[in-house]
Amino acid sequence: MGKNRRKDKAIPPPQLPPEVREEEIEFSDEDVKYVEENKDYARFVSRIDTTAINRQCVGEAKTVEDKYEEERSKKKVQQEEKGSNEIQVDPVDVLPVKTLDGKLHYRTVTKKSKLAEADPEEAEEEDVLEDEHILNKSQRRAKAKKSKKEAKKQETEVPEEILQEEETPQAAVLAEVKEELSAEESFENKKNRLAELGMLLLSDPEANIRSLKEMLDISKDENAKIVKLCLLSVLAVFKDIIPGYRIRLPTDKELEMKVSKEVKKTRFYESTLLKAYKSYLQKLMAFERQSVYNQVANRCICTLLDAKPHFNFRDNLLTAVVRNISSPDEVVRRLCCSTIRSLFSNEGKHGGELTVQAVRLIADQVKSQNCQLHPNSIEVFMSIRFDEDIGKRDREEANKKKFKKNDKRNNQEEQNQAQENERKKSKREMMSKIRDEVNADYRGVTFEPDAMERRKMQTETLSAVFETYFRILRKTMFSIGESSTEEDTTLNPGAFGPHPLLAPCLDGLGKFTQQLDLDYIGDLMNYLKKLASSSSVSTTKKKNSKLLTVSERLRCCLVAFKVMRSNLNALNVDLQDFFVQLYNLLLEYRPGRDSGEVLAESLKIMLCDDRHQDMQKAAAFVKRLATFALCFGCAESMSALVTLKNLLQRNVKCRNLLENDAGGGSVSGSIAKYQPYATDPNLSGAFASVLWELNLLTKHYHPAISTMAGTISNMNTSQNQTFLSAVTPQQAFADYSLLKESFEPKSESRKLNNKRKRESGGEGEDDPETDTVELKKKLKENFTILRGIKVDERVRMEFEKKKQSNMAKKKPTKKQCNVEKKKPKSPKSKKKF
Amino acid sequence: MRPLDENETTVVFEKIFKFVGNNLKNIVENPSHEGPESDPGRYCFRLQKNRVYYASESLVKRATNISRKSLVSLGTCIGKYTHAGSFHLTIMSLNLLAANAKHKVWLKPTSEMSFLYGNHVLKGGLGRITDSIVPGDGVVVFSMSDVPLGFGIAAKSTQDCRKLDPNGIVVLHQADIGEYLRDEDEL
Repeated sequence: MGKNRRKDKAIPPPQLPPEVREEEIEFSDEDVKYVEENKDYARFVSRIDTTAINRQCVGEAKTVEDKYEEERSKKKVQQEEKGSNEIQVDPVDVLPVKTLDGKLHYRTVTKKSKLAEADPEEAEEEDVLEDEHILNKSQRRAKAKKSKKEAKKQETEVPEEILQEEETPQAAVLAEVKEELSAEESFENKKNRLAELGMLLLSDPEANIRSLKEMLDISKDENAKIVKLCLLSVLAVFKDIIPGYRIRLPTDKELEMKVSKEVKKTRFYESTLLKAYKSYLQKLMAFERQSVYNQVANRCICTLLDAKPHFNFRDNLLTAVVRNISSPDEVVRRLCCSTIRSLFSNEGKHGGELTVQAVRLIADQVKSQNCQLHPNSIEVFMSIRFDEDIGKRDREEANKKKFKKNDKRNNQEEQNQAQENERKKSKREMMSKIRDEVNADYRGVTFEPDAMERRKMQTETLSAVFETYFRILRKTMFSIGESSTEEDTTLNPGAFGPHPLLAPCLDGLGKFTQQLDLDYIGDLMNYLKKLASSSSVSTTKKKNSKLLTVSERLRCCLVAFKVMRSNLNALNVDLQDFFVQLYNLLLEYRPGRDSGEVLAESLKIMLCDDRHQDMQKAAAFVKRLATFALCFGCAESMSALVTLKNLLQRNVKCRNLLENDAGGGSVSGSIAKYQPYATDPNLSGAFASVLWELNLLTKHYHPAISTMAGTISNMNTSQNQTFLSAVTPQQAFADYSLLKESFEPKSESRKLNNKRKRESGGEGEDDPETDTVELKKKLKENFTILRGIKVDERVRMEFEKKKQSNMAKKKPTKKQCNVEKKKPKSPKSKKKF
Repeated sequence: MRPLDENETTVVFEKIFKFVGNNLKNIVENPSHEGPESDPGRYCFRLQKNRVYYASESLVKRATNISRKSLVSLGTCIGKYTHAGSFHLTIMSLNLLAANAKHKVWLKPTSEMSFLYGNHVLKGGLGRITDSIVPGDGVVVFSMSDVPLGFGIAAKSTQDCRKLDPNGIVVLHQADIGEYLRDEDEL
């Protein structure tokens, strides 16, 4: 029905017959006779509402639908008009012609309007598309729009007549509509134009390089969408066109020389490409500053840099990317960070130079922004890969030189020996010479930088990275630090929080410690010590921006241990201060605020992995971990218990804590009483205490924890004392954290509680509520039934009593009484229901 | 027996401070549960015949009953004054120092004997070392099983120790438990 209606409206109203003046109308006799014969039937003529017919025929659009119908008809009329201006082209001529050179030659018509060209070229495009089967993003869009346009065109092919009488007051509205329509049209036309230019360029870049310029001109349009599309399509084209080498423009001297045609052609191609690229980049930079195009421009820049980092102008691209690496817009920032990360990991593409530059730029930015950047900007450093032996190679070379000298002496000695050795030596020398030559040739051909250069670049990168890290550390120190009262103006935390870069900085330091020279390690340890102990020195007034959070301090301790462990060959240093810090941080930990994973990692690295433990210290940690396990949820308890087990297994003397020896016996040393609040683990006197917490923990609701506590308590008496727990505290933490809570306690009465726990952990708070509603309903039903049963029983009981009493009183009229009494009883009981 | 006067106290405390640092207050204010009194008394220092003793107050109270000539020793002797007037800590203070030591050094099993004979500690014999040692600090020497072996003065900082060759001296020997056998007469 609807379709029919639409079709009816599509058909324009019928035309009025041509105006004829009344005087000129002549009636023939036959006509008069006909009318007189059929007078009855002709009565309708007098009743005709001529005005209505006029209205319908003229097409006065009063309703919205009529207006719409008129607009559509108007549009078609216009297209018809234009269509009539089109050249009638033979479809055969529309196809491209392939000349003997192998070039595709399109027969173009010299017409100004792009529209006219659009039609035959559209058809060409289709053929080209069929030939080449390449579709990029803009083309896909163009194709979709094209199909819509073709559908419309098919409608216009239906022959229509032109209505010229539209001088109605709706002309203004129609004019507006016309504008919109034409804008839409031009939009689509431009899209198509972009698509076909792109195709041209991709099919034969060298011949069609001028169309690049045209594409770039489209970007000067006002419509934002067109500009964006243009930028993206030019990006796609460039990605494919840009060659794998850096273009170097010919110098004047070279220009003066006579060169062959081919060289001229290549030169021309390269210079136009470069010019176009340059103007494109300039446009991108200009657009980047406008917020409308910011994302698109950034995307283009990032993709270009990622795809072709070896090409010209990469420095400008790099500066733009690095500038945006800390932008508040998350999409842009993520794009830039991922680009830089891929730059770092794919060093082969640009031969390592870009790494150095990027790192340097980031370091400068950190400096200029005074360390107020988003943490992502420093996290990219984690993707840098250094050769393992940068420093060591120098030493090895020095050693080699020494050895060479020795060899020479040895050689001299050997020459005094038999001649066979000489022949062998000469052979060896020949072989080494050949090998050297081959190596030299190989090196000349490959794109890879020399080993020396590579090492130089890596050392530069490394120094820049460490410079950044140390700057961040120093800044954190100052902000916490020593000058407390008046310098608060500089301490306003930026948009990213007080110490945003500290966490990734510490992570990076932990990763790159092997590259750090021994001299700096001492300084670094000092800094870390001060940072880790920061809260104890603070003034109570300005707590917020100055102090480091518990997680940050834990991270400091972690990094210190990692540094120490990676430099183990030098000396096994016992980091006492950091142990004190950890001991105190265990008390300050709060599950919601602080990161449990950092805690688990620090427990593992500081306590479990340590090869040798001071007895008092270990005992102190054992006691404190047991207390810790009592206070928090499942995950933290589990990780603490795992560490505890580890410590007890390794330090046999600590098992005294499992015995009920209150005074500590001989192992306690001079401290006779346990000091639970002692800040130094060595002075806590833990040997004088007993691990009563384990007893409580055996009654924990979680079965795993209770079994673990049980095994630990029985450690002294159990037969098998050599098993090592393979679980690390981190694993334990991850396994038992609330998100993975999946166990069921055994008691059935708490099934509902369980369900709520599980569901609230995963899905949210709606399910428990619906449960309770359903629950209430069920309970209600149950209750009514129960009540009914009870009432029924009560009534029956009464009836029985009365029955018996009646039986006792009147025996003969038993039946009658029963019958009589039953009747009144039953409606009563029903009423009660 | 008399209590220490000011100069002597400062000297003694300075020497102990080199080894224990801020834990000095633990030594001085250590509550002692010895004796029949219910209130824990304190430990104090007393001087008797050029030797400094560390004893609890209750013990000191009872020791006043013994005449000066007959009193040989009380509590723990921690050091003695030389003829020249300088104070030296002796090996008998080891227990006190080891419990409160700030700077510790652990020796490998192979080099324990060398230290117990009175030699200095070399880098090659070093198992572990506490961080942040400054040259001139007092260092307590332990074995790998945490048995205190003696004490000495640090010759190099921890940083420098890293770069030292294996025959460099790390800790200068001052006292060790081998002295109980070697210098029996002098103690």
